[in-house]
Amino acid sequence: MRTSTSWLPSWAAPVALVAGAATVAPAPGRAETDPVPPSRNYYAYVCAESEDEVSLIRFGPSGVEVTKTITVGSFPAEIEGPHGINISAGGRYWYVSIAHGNPFGSIHKYETGTDEWLGDVKVGMFPATLDIAATTGLLFVVNSDFYGDHVPSTISVVETSSMTEIAQFTSGTMPHGARLSRDGRKLYSVNMMDDELVEVDALRFEVGRRLKLGAKAGLSAAHGDHGDHQTAASHGGAHADAAVEPSWVTPPTADGLVYITALSGNAIYEVDTGEWKVTRRFDTPAGPYNAAVGPDESLLVVTYKKSDSIGFWDLETGSEVARLATTRRIPHGVAITSDGRFSLVTVEGIGGEPGVVEVYDNGALRRVAQIDIGKQAGGIALWEPN
Amino acid sequence: MTLFRTRPPIWLALAATIVLFTALPVTAQEPAPEKADAETADQTDGADEAGSGDDEEEVSVPPGAELQVSPTELTLEVGDKASLAATVVDEDGEPIEGVDVVFFSRNRRRLGVNPAGEVEAHGPGDVTVIALVPKQVEDEPRRAEALLRVEVEVTIPNPPVESVEIVDLPGAFYAGTHLPLHARVVDITDVVRDNVDVTYSSSDSAVAAPDGFGGLDLVEPGQTTLTATAEDASYQVEITVAPNPTQRLELTASADEARTGDVVWFEAVGLDGDGNAVDDLPVRFLVAGQAATRILAPGATAQIEQDGAFVAERSGIYTVTALAGNHSASHPVRITPRRVNKEVEFVGQGKVSDRRTSDLWVWEGTDGNDYAITGTWGAEGHAYVWDVTNPESIVLIDAVRVDARTVNDVKVSEDGRVAVISREGASNRKNGFVVLDVSEPQVGVRILSRFDDQLRGGVHNVFIHDEHVYALSNGRRFDVISIEDPTQPYRVGRFELETPGHSIHDVWVVDGVAFTSNWDDGVVAIDVGGAGMGGAPNNPVQLGSYAYPSGWNHAAYPYRSESTGKFYVFAGDEAFPYGELGRDPRAAPPRAAGWIHVIAWDDWENPREVARYQVPEAGTHNLWIEDDIMYVAYYNGGLRVVDVSGELRGDLYRQGREIGMFMPFDPDALVPNAPFVWGPQPYKDHIFFSDWHSGLWAVKLKDPDDPHRIIGEPH
Repeated sequence: MRTSTSWLPSWAAPVALVAGAATVAPAPGRAETDPVPPSRNYYAYVCAESEDEVSLIRFGPSGVEVTKTITVGSFPAEIEGPHGINISAGGRYWYVSIAHGNPFGSIHKYETGTDEWLGDVKVGMFPATLDIAATTGLLFVVNSDFYGDHVPSTISVVETSSMTEIAQFTSGTMPHGARLSRDGRKLYSVNMMDDELVEVDALRFEVGRRLKLGAKAGLSAAHGDHGDHQTAASHGGAHADAAVEPSWVTPPTADGLVYITALSGNAIYEVDTGEWKVTRRFDTPAGPYNAAVGPDESLLVVTYKKSDSIGFWDLETGSEVARLATTRRIPHGVAITSDGRFSLVTVEGIGGEPGVVEVYDNGALRRVAQIDIGKQAGGIALWEPN
Repeated sequence: MTLFRTRPPIWLALAATIVLFTALPVTAQEPAPEKADAETADQTDGADEAGSGDDEEEVSVPPGAELQVSPTELTLEVGDKASLAATVVDEDGEPIEGVDVVFFSRNRRRLGVNPAGEVEAHGPGDVTVIALVPKQVEDEPRRAEALLRVEVEVTIPNPPVESVEIVDLPGAFYAGTHLPLHARVVDITDVVRDNVDVTYSSSDSAVAAPDGFGGLDLVEPGQTTLTATAEDASYQVEITVAPNPTQRLELTASADEARTGDVVWFEAVGLDGDGNAVDDLPVRFLVAGQAATRILAPGATAQIEQDGAFVAERSGIYTVTALAGNHSASHPVRITPRRVNKEVEFVGQGKVSDRRTSDLWVWEGTDGNDYAITGTWGAEGHAYVWDVTNPESIVLIDAVRVDARTVNDVKVSEDGRVAVISREGASNRKNGFVVLDVSEPQVGVRILSRFDDQLRGGVHNVFIHDEHVYALSNGRRFDVISIEDPTQPYRVGRFELETPGHSIHDVWVVDGVAFTSNWDDGVVAIDVGGAGMGGAPNNPVQLGSYAYPSGWNHAAYPYRSESTGKFYVFAGDEAFPYGELGRDPRAAPPRAAGWIHVIAWDDWENPREVARYQVPEAGTHNLWIEDDIMYVAYYNGGLRVVDVSGELRGDLYRQGREIGMFMPFDPDALVPNAPFVWGPQPYKDHIFFSDWHSGLWAVKLKDPDDPHRIIGEPH
């Protein structure tokens, strides 16, 4: 079991801000309080993509520790790449996407707590992000096909009770990010190489709507006011001719807003799924990759993959209230605890470096704990034991 | 895809907890064809709201409601369609309309279902269709299951047989002989079937009588009609049984004495009264015998195939008998132990115990010294360069680090000047390979170039042949990259199978023919300039392929036997997990299954698997063959050295062809005393191999101190 240093010394010290980012020092209203240690334990399952491991992390009053490490995959002599991870409603099972296969990747099902392997199912090329509908029990996973020719790829639908792939339909080129609406009727994903957001009818298993992001949207004048194009212009159009390469989309808020990270566009897009248009666009440092919205829907936490930092955004004002450097390179995933107090961030590291799970106090806007796990930490899912 | 909506009742419109939409009247939606749906979706762009779900609202389902699907079970022929009707009723049995019902099939390749519940049978089998009603988000949100759910079992029988035909009948039928019968069965979907019972009958069993086991006894001269029946299809053929002109059966053997594992060829010829050979005489071979008395409880000890190839696994005296009707002939053969065993002696080790070691390559440097390069696995992207001139003292002389976590494969050019190492796990996810200058290892190894164009997904294996790198791309194809100028590699060609779900794992090139290993698709031979079939590095041309049922094909080593001139491909498996053994490496060191398949491949279009080398309870990885000796990295089975001289048939392991084995136990290894041998290479009277847990090893064969001492099984 790997255990971090004691809780207080690690979290009490302020985290260095990113060099040159003085304008995003924690805003007074956001950082008036010092960090307060947690009064309960939080758990997260975390993928180490280049270790073929999933680690169970516990973060609580005594600090953060790896309570268990589960080896995943079937071929010990091949790196199979656990990439995306999620937990069923009710928290009874966790599911992990195994990116590499011969050639198709797979989804594996485990029981939480015992971490017993229960089954698997083959899906498409490089399955990545996945989500499970609480209302139907169906699992949706995007087959990102990161490394193939840039041709349209698919989304798979899996019945989780029997681990059967019941549908696979075309989404677009390099689909990534997959988050369901709370009622399980819509799935939102982005096609990285098509610069678009898609809305999937999660009961019919087909793409319903597409929304171009960035400059390409502006070219489609016939489709009217896209909002995003106008917004991009209003922000100076710094990336008007660049690819957006959207990489993540958050689940819709109660108001139907989703937030999309633009990995190459260096921006966050806010899309109103009701109006189906971009309502705001926030410029970011290079490489926003994953994002999570807090439970009160006022805070957005973003990993900046190319800037080795994370950003905390006030969604009411649309401003970045803090930007903090990560301990190693290539931040990847982020999850916010159900009470909104903490953000857990994965950092891949490079080469032989361990991956890291970093814990940030969302009130104090400080990193309060961190712990190494296997190489290339990526997908992360919080688990609430009953 | 699968949505069905029932019409909501009026009372629901008054319920405060539900949200209804203006366009209530939804009966079962008429689904557009799937293709049309997809096209519509693809055309949707920007603010186009086609397909928007905004008009879809949830309808509450009260407690006690039930989902009823009719029919409750179904039988369909392939190609048939039917409709499933779904109704949600309340506890009083009153229909509740406007409720979404989702249909899906648990085997959509055999049975499709659309949103309206219309099913179509695509292939035979028993398939479950699920109909479910999604929960409402307010309902017990911590339980991930549908609110209502019904399973409908659909039975799709095999399509009827359309035709059956008796095939491969001989040109003549002789009384007193026995024939195996073969039938070709085709169903109405033009699928050739091997799962249909075929029965045979004869119109005159006094002339010819089926034996009930797929054979035919030819009893006496005369005519009879032979009938094969498969379901409702039948086939008739009239045969004439002639008197057997055979007066004598002559049986000859290619040798009277041989060793275990040697193939002895038997030939049986029926001769008539004039001493002429009888054409089309069916001959059956049998073998019986007695293993050497020192071998107790030997089990099966010898085999003879019906082409006359005999091979024994144990020494002893065997008698091969040929039968043709009432005639028989026997021939004894003495089998002696093969006695090829040697000891495998430890020579040296280049220990790597802080990370896993992958593949190796050993070569003579331009300075005349000997060097080896090894990769590392799941670590920091290192390749290690060793001076192995004195194998007793292996010296690490340089290390190259690239942006990768695994350097799975390493290869060195024929002239010993350039090495190529593969990259996986690059931090920027742009993998590819790296070209190294290894012309002066003692001075230092330096990076000449990197190449990742269209190879970003990870290069698992590479090969260098004639100034070209054959590099796997994303496990889907190999690309051919010229390194004529190793500082400026450029792609000249690529080769990719077109089979569904194809996946490539390895490539090895000999004399202008590339042999790829492709899991389910087996071994594929490709002309890249040496087979005279128009192939070239920029125009690879497929020559042939051979697949086997397990789908474990991981490596292939082409080899022309020095002793026979026959061309074989030795195809290695990689099979994980070995049941549950080794699934969790923290609980126990990993274990593999699988073996070496020996494929006789003198004709590109007619490869044939003729032999196997299978070590029980272990599994193969990489292999090398030289001077009729096969070196196999057998993972947890250690290093195996095998005599593959002569013709190859049967089970080489049981034939006593194993020359020696070496288990690289190392208490200081990354996983102590857990051999996991990755790759072998014979080189200048030594055998070098890499072990996953402990690094580079050098061993050599030596004559046993006591040649009569038997270790393991006597043969």
